[in-house]
Amino acid sequence: MEAITPATRVPIGARRSVVATRRFLERFGLIAALAALPIYYGAHDLISGYPAGFVDGHQVVAHNLTRLGGNLAVGFSNGAIWALIAIGYTLVYGIIELINFAHGDVFMIGSFTSVGLWGSLGLGLTTGVVGLIAGLLVTLVVVMAVCGSLNVLIERVAYRPLRGAPKLAPLITAVGFSFILQNVGLLWLGGSPQGVNDLIRQDHAVFHISGVPIQRGYILALGLTIPLVLGLAWFIGNTRAGRAMRATAQDPEAARLMGINVDATISLTFMLGGMLAGAAGLVYAIYETNVWYFQGFEAGLIAFTAAVMGGIGNVRGAVLGGLIIGVIQALSDARLGPQWTEAVVFGYLIVIMVLRPRGLLGEETREAG
Amino acid sequence: MSPGDATSAPAPSPPAGEAAGEPLLRAEALTKRFGGLTAVDGVSLWIAPRSIVSIIGPNGAGKTTFFNMLTGLYKPTSGRIVFAGRDVTRARPDVRTKLGVARTFQNIRLFGAMSALENVVVGRHVRMKAGLLGSIARTPSVRREEQEVRARAREVLAYAGLAKNRFDDLAVNLSYGDQRRVEIARALASDPTLLLLDEPTAGMNPQESDRLTEFMRALRDDLGLTILLIEHDMKVVMGVSEQVTVLNHGERIAEGSPAEVRADPAVIEAYLGVQDKS
Amino acid sequence: MSELRAQIEEWRAAGRRQVRRLPSWSNRAAVGILIVLGALLPFAFAETSGFLNATIISLAYVVMALGLNIVVGFAGLLDLGYVAFYAIGAYCVGWFGSDFFYKAHLHVGVSHFAGTLPGIHFNFILILVCAVAITSVMGCLIGLPTLRLRGDYIAIVTLAFGEIIGVVAVNGQGINLVDGMTLTAGNLGIPAVDLPYFPIVGTFNLLDLRPWYWLIFVIMLVVLFVNLRVRDSRLGRAWVALREDEVAAVSMGIPLVRTKLLAYATGASFGGMSGAFLGAYFTTVNAGQFAFSFSIFVLAMIIVGGLGSIWGAVFGALLLSYINYYLIPDVLNGLPGDFGLNFSLTQLSFGIFGFLLVIVMVLRPQGLFPERRRALELTEAIAPGGEEGAPVPPT
Repeated sequence: MEAITPATRVPIGARRSVVATRRFLERFGLIAALAALPIYYGAHDLISGYPAGFVDGHQVVAHNLTRLGGNLAVGFSNGAIWALIAIGYTLVYGIIELINFAHGDVFMIGSFTSVGLWGSLGLGLTTGVVGLIAGLLVTLVVVMAVCGSLNVLIERVAYRPLRGAPKLAPLITAVGFSFILQNVGLLWLGGSPQGVNDLIRQDHAVFHISGVPIQRGYILALGLTIPLVLGLAWFIGNTRAGRAMRATAQDPEAARLMGINVDATISLTFMLGGMLAGAAGLVYAIYETNVWYFQGFEAGLIAFTAAVMGGIGNVRGAVLGGLIIGVIQALSDARLGPQWTEAVVFGYLIVIMVLRPRGLLGEETREAG
Repeated sequence: MSPGDATSAPAPSPPAGEAAGEPLLRAEALTKRFGGLTAVDGVSLWIAPRSIVSIIGPNGAGKTTFFNMLTGLYKPTSGRIVFAGRDVTRARPDVRTKLGVARTFQNIRLFGAMSALENVVVGRHVRMKAGLLGSIARTPSVRREEQEVRARAREVLAYAGLAKNRFDDLAVNLSYGDQRRVEIARALASDPTLLLLDEPTAGMNPQESDRLTEFMRALRDDLGLTILLIEHDMKVVMGVSEQVTVLNHGERIAEGSPAEVRADPAVIEAYLGVQDKS
Repeated sequence: MSELRAQIEEWRAAGRRQVRRLPSWSNRAAVGILIVLGALLPFAFAETSGFLNATIISLAYVVMALGLNIVVGFAGLLDLGYVAFYAIGAYCVGWFGSDFFYKAHLHVGVSHFAGTLPGIHFNFILILVCAVAITSVMGCLIGLPTLRLRGDYIAIVTLAFGEIIGVVAVNGQGINLVDGMTLTAGNLGIPAVDLPYFPIVGTFNLLDLRPWYWLIFVIMLVVLFVNLRVRDSRLGRAWVALREDEVAAVSMGIPLVRTKLLAYATGASFGGMSGAFLGAYFTTVNAGQFAFSFSIFVLAMIIVGGLGSIWGAVFGALLLSYINYYLIPDVLNGLPGDFGLNFSLTQLSFGIFGFLLVIVMVLRPQGLFPERRRALELTEAIAPGGEEGAPVPPT
């Protein structure tokens, strides 16, 4: 038997270890990469310690995880806001495989509407607790309605007419809408970030967990996000309309043939996404005490990254992605400096896309052929 | 399909590979697993040069998966593929095309936005040399190459049976039969030694199938090609193959001449189910 | 009479069915006229005309659009981070054509005066060469992680790269290289970059826009020429094949990695060339110039013009640039005032631009000058052979 010349020239032993390494990386590399930041800084805090205030004129160096805990608390709270926005991206992508570029700006409109409503309702720094809660609930309902409707409008005008068009055409209309909404924001409150009344004194610590202050803002963010997400999950899992959404996301043609009104289902999806973005806008305004016409664009990028990280099309993935990015941001802001945070977040995105393109909780993509 | 068909091939000799020297293609115990599903399980196949070999089996038997491993679209979970004396198990598809493997697809995959002629010209990509800089400068050798390739593409299209006035038609606008012809022409454009055809007669009426069968014989006899065929049309399979391999549930359950395979009880059972013995 | 009509119908049907370019002489004639008109254009305007300024910027965008058209239009790789190449091209001017690296003393082909200045000073053409080289490499690096990814994921990764480059640009003033010299000057910008100098012509200046115009006009012609040649070449066909059906293309022998990387590199190099020109034209390179909105702007140009179509990219770039840099700020700015409204139109420029994008896309999603084949796809609603292939018709 004549010698067989290999078409590829790598020796078998080396090739096997490359394959094994790659498989190991794919499975654990991602988790390792994500855990790297908190583990590293946690270890750093424990071992080298960090400055934690003064006692009797001397700098106290603490060796505990309180600082890390604080970072995580901030991270989860911010992450909750991103999660709400990310769900909107992921729902829309799951059902029509399009990235709704205007979604972040719907969030911005939500913040602006909240601020405007506070003015109309007379909510201010001197409002009593009951009045405040009532006022905020009203704001929440109104904002969700407004943003839900806005998102439905965008679908109707920018996406539906282009159902059969090449994939990039709706991307451009969405961008167009994004610009329009940004201009609205620009004219509404001007070009610079606007300070907003700190209605709930969001940085007041309500209680402490092992020394980590849990601020009102955190409780608000998580307290609003968790019920909304659970409510959405219940809706998708247990109602007829939710089933219709799942069916349409899997196979629109089959859904249509089964008698599902696909157009209405798509509109519903947009509405739900918009509502959540509106709620996120309200939370953001209360939490950040600052609004800006450009915030939607930035938040949109981050939330979109979260949705992709978690697995685009997967609601749980969007929530997970949002929380993870919130933590990455918080750690980067506190430890590396906020000027690098965006690069760190996008660096992580690239790592995830290379190691696991379907995202953390996404489904296996089809193989070739 | 019935025994004693006039179009049966004459009594076959043993797989030519063992008698006549080195096989052109040797697939050794190829296995492909997707997660928990084993699509192909330890299938071996030897193909002699200048022969026509068929792979048959019920739907879902793993035939196209096997093809995809041969062409490099799937990496085998285990096993080895040797083509013309070279181990191509992990080689990229375009490397295999350069070595002389070409294929058509079960669902026709022409480049819809290109004309029939352009499709075939693309098929010749591996045999052309023009690079980025040469193309920009359009050196005389590049210009000559383009002319030659176009002329060759016309020849191949005509050989495959496409009418001349259809050469510039967009691929999407051609009839189904014409699209099949263009796909075969495109595969032939790379001057292959091994041609893999995935259900080439799907959707054809008996006359068209006969024409294709004749065409395959011509490819083998006139151009010296080796053809590996996935087919469901038994008349074609029995009529043109020198060797038939039967897959079921990812395993090879029979192999031999068409007559041997036709009479094999395992094959009959696979297609028709167990005979009621009453 | 009906025979004639039948014959005309058959010709028309054949015209729709077939791929037919205009005869090559008409292409050449059109290009010839374009060159002549283009070369003579500046003489119709004052040396510092606003229209000329807008035209210069528009031509730079044409080059950008042609570059992105290769990546997105020909090869079908949705690149949302094109701003990265603009940035690198501009920084080439900042690095190799100014006092920025003041500890170095390197002069190649510059004017007598510039030869006395500290820093690295290359002749503008040499800077262009550097820009092409560096952006080509960066294009390959950015493209590498995307090779195995599906369409939308490519968009995400390239977007991420574009943002990272932007962040590096801003923070570059904190990145020390050697001896106190930093990578960039962040948002303050690298000031006073060299003006281009050519022997005989002399040094450009901002009081006479005409030489700038001719420079970018020549660059554009070169890029256009390269595009037209490559489109009809082996490589151009390979790109379209990969775009149409990657599996089939690879099975026909088209090397995936090499072909895609070439698309990225070629597209990137045009962005770098145009970036270098703009860096010099704006006489400063600051990080604020490199935002994601730029990538979207250029993408909008090629989609509005007609994705994959060279002339579409040219037209789309000219159209959107003129609207953004001339029509809105210069021509129509006072319009609301004419109606008694109390604001200037530039405050609405975002919204107007967005509105135009929506209108154009809804009315004509295939773009204004679609690649001929795509028009056919859309207007006759025929599905090209893609993932599923042509459906099996009843026989």
